[in-house]
Amino acid sequence: MAEAPSGIAWREQHPAINDKCNQCLVCTLFCPEGALKQEKGKVALCLNLCNGCGTCAIECPQKAIAMVPEFTGDRGVFPLKEGKS
Amino acid sequence: MSLSLLTGSEAAAYGAKLAKIEVLAYYPITPAFPAMERLSKFIEDGEMNTRFIRVEGDHSALAAALGASLAGSRAFTVTNSQGLLYMTEVVYHTAGLRQPVVMAVANRALSAPHSRFPEQGDAISQDASGWIQLFCENNQEVLDTILHAFKVAETCRLPVMVNYEGYIQSHTQEEVYIPQQAEVDAFLPFKRVATLDINNPQGINTVTSPDFYMDYKYHQNDAMKQALDAINTVAGEFKRDFGRDWGGVVEGYQMTDAEHALVVMGSMAGDGRIVIDALRAEGKKVGMIKVRSFRPFPSEALRAMLKNVKLVTVLDKNIVFGAGGALGNDTKSALYGSLSVPIKNYIVGLGGRDVRPDEIRQVIGLSEERVKQQTAYEWFGL
Amino acid sequence: MVWLVGKGGKLVTIAIKDLPQQDLFGPGNAGCRGCGAAIAGRQAMKVLGSRTIITIPASCMATLSGLNQRTAWNIPFYHTLFEIAPAVSAGIRASLDAQGIKDVNVVSWAGDAGTADIGFQSLSGAAERNDSIIHVCYDNEMYMNTGGQTGSQTPLHAMTSNQQKGKGTNKKDMLAIMVAHGVGYVASASISHPQDLMEKFKKAAARDGFSYIHILAPCYRGWNIPTDQSVATARKAVESGFWELFEVENGKKTRTHQPSFIPVSEYLLSQGRFKNLSAEQIKVVQNDINRHFGRKEAK
Repeated sequence: MAEAPSGIAWREQHPAINDKCNQCLVCTLFCPEGALKQEKGKVALCLNLCNGCGTCAIECPQKAIAMVPEFTGDRGVFPLKEGKS
Repeated sequence: MSLSLLTGSEAAAYGAKLAKIEVLAYYPITPAFPAMERLSKFIEDGEMNTRFIRVEGDHSALAAALGASLAGSRAFTVTNSQGLLYMTEVVYHTAGLRQPVVMAVANRALSAPHSRFPEQGDAISQDASGWIQLFCENNQEVLDTILHAFKVAETCRLPVMVNYEGYIQSHTQEEVYIPQQAEVDAFLPFKRVATLDINNPQGINTVTSPDFYMDYKYHQNDAMKQALDAINTVAGEFKRDFGRDWGGVVEGYQMTDAEHALVVMGSMAGDGRIVIDALRAEGKKVGMIKVRSFRPFPSEALRAMLKNVKLVTVLDKNIVFGAGGALGNDTKSALYGSLSVPIKNYIVGLGGRDVRPDEIRQVIGLSEERVKQQTAYEWFGL
Repeated sequence: MVWLVGKGGKLVTIAIKDLPQQDLFGPGNAGCRGCGAAIAGRQAMKVLGSRTIITIPASCMATLSGLNQRTAWNIPFYHTLFEIAPAVSAGIRASLDAQGIKDVNVVSWAGDAGTADIGFQSLSGAAERNDSIIHVCYDNEMYMNTGGQTGSQTPLHAMTSNQQKGKGTNKKDMLAIMVAHGVGYVASASISHPQDLMEKFKKAAARDGFSYIHILAPCYRGWNIPTDQSVATARKAVESGFWELFEVENGKKTRTHQPSFIPVSEYLLSQGRFKNLSAEQIKVVQNDINRHFGRKEAK
């Protein structure tokens, strides 16, 4: 059974921005939560607000965003008894 | 102060005019509409600096007045019966939002059958809404009570309904003293309180969980209880400033050594006085309690006034189907556990059926004859 | 990225980086993943600014805007009864007028029910009176806050929670109805075309009288699409011509985006709610679109 990183219980994935990003800021117009915001003309990601919808990865014109899973292995599966999953 | 012949509708309009309402919204309905038209004429003639929203329905009338109130304006509307019931959702909402909207209601019977005649059932339908409900005996009281209403509303942060009967009051002329604007300004100063304040953004009426709702309602009910004092205080201030004493939450008439008390609301109080005077002249120890504030209900005041009485007769121009008259039921509740005086409740005057002084006198006699009949309520005038 | 924004007649170039950084709506909102309504709200507030009072009737937007003592708005926000947002907004505007406050936008922001169905009466009244408010319909084409039932804004054949065989009647044309009321500014918008949407909000905010903006705002749950497809699906609606982007200013219509005319089947069949459409039904829809845009119809 996988361990979730502490504090992250509400999403299954979050965005990772690579260096194809040219700071066009389009993603900041499509994030429903405002987790992707602009600070001084550059994209900033506020993970406290991201719920992992994946819209930004789809909409990025440069394809500079990939969605990274929060969990590895068996996601969100809790064993009923010790030794079983 | 000038003396004029005014209908109840005109009196209500003068009250709102003197209160310098900032926003008015209404949707025409019989018999409330003359008050609306009089207000619009004041506005068109430049005698009121008021914005009028010509809404497309009664529900929107209170909604628009509420919006204006939330943004910080003194707001007013007029309606009755079907319109009031259509607005009911907004009525409860306004009280929950603690907005000091004042509404004049020209009480009329409810459909079905379709009636346009006076009756108090429309107001009674709102008894659980959280609005303060005051009932007026005559047109002078209508004008004066509109002024009281704004002061009570803004003190308690609760909306207030000012009730008077359709046709009997709304369309009948009586002598009314119209106060001077300066006197009213001194009695009713305006302090702007904006809930929707552009300089102080807040979220209003967010979705509320069980953790919060009940405590909020406790505070709202508490405000209603405190309103009893506010209504009395304002009545006292009005008497000091204008010389007319409307008694606050209740008025006792010839109650000092009364053995039989008549309890009524609204126009029947005016007829009641004539009957009480006549019976007193014949040596009968009768008195009358005029209930002015139906909500909050003046339980303590009634218990005090009925302490030494041997029979109580409550007349209701309304029927709570299967349960009796609203005033009768609330009176019985107020006295339960403290006084064991018999209470006879009569349903009268529904759908505009006239209740004349001689009929009130008959009911008093009937009540005394039938004091031993243990009926919860009876009908008179069928 | 740089575009032109009309401002009181003068054309002004504006870049995304010049939009306000602060989100007056959004952070912490309780919307589902990929919520189209939340996207619309964020885009609109970039333009409307802090001198705005917003009224939102019962809807997903009202529900996601706050709980108990929390609000997702940095402007005055009021969750109204279902029917009354335009009427309440008219009252707010009257009060602001009485107070001599002229620089505040008053916005009623309603879903499809609060605009076209249960809210229609008060909307019609406010439009007819030309009250100085902006009514925004964020349209997910079903009653999502109560689980996804059919409303007048549900398109023909769409499956909903209470019509699983698909709606039998057409979407009621709210834009035409608002134009018929004589509303001076009527516009359609889409979350997929934010610059177009923001230009329209700027126009509405700059004018007196009643303005109406109708935004296509997909809902992944109701439309049966993945959570990351709200914007992409809206784009397909626009690019197929199914949802035309236009504005009507004082009766004069201008198309604000020329579609690229992808086949409407690409739009329809990308959503679970249209999965039962037959080829014949799709052809009828395609021909309706072609006719509207003056293109050749298929036989």
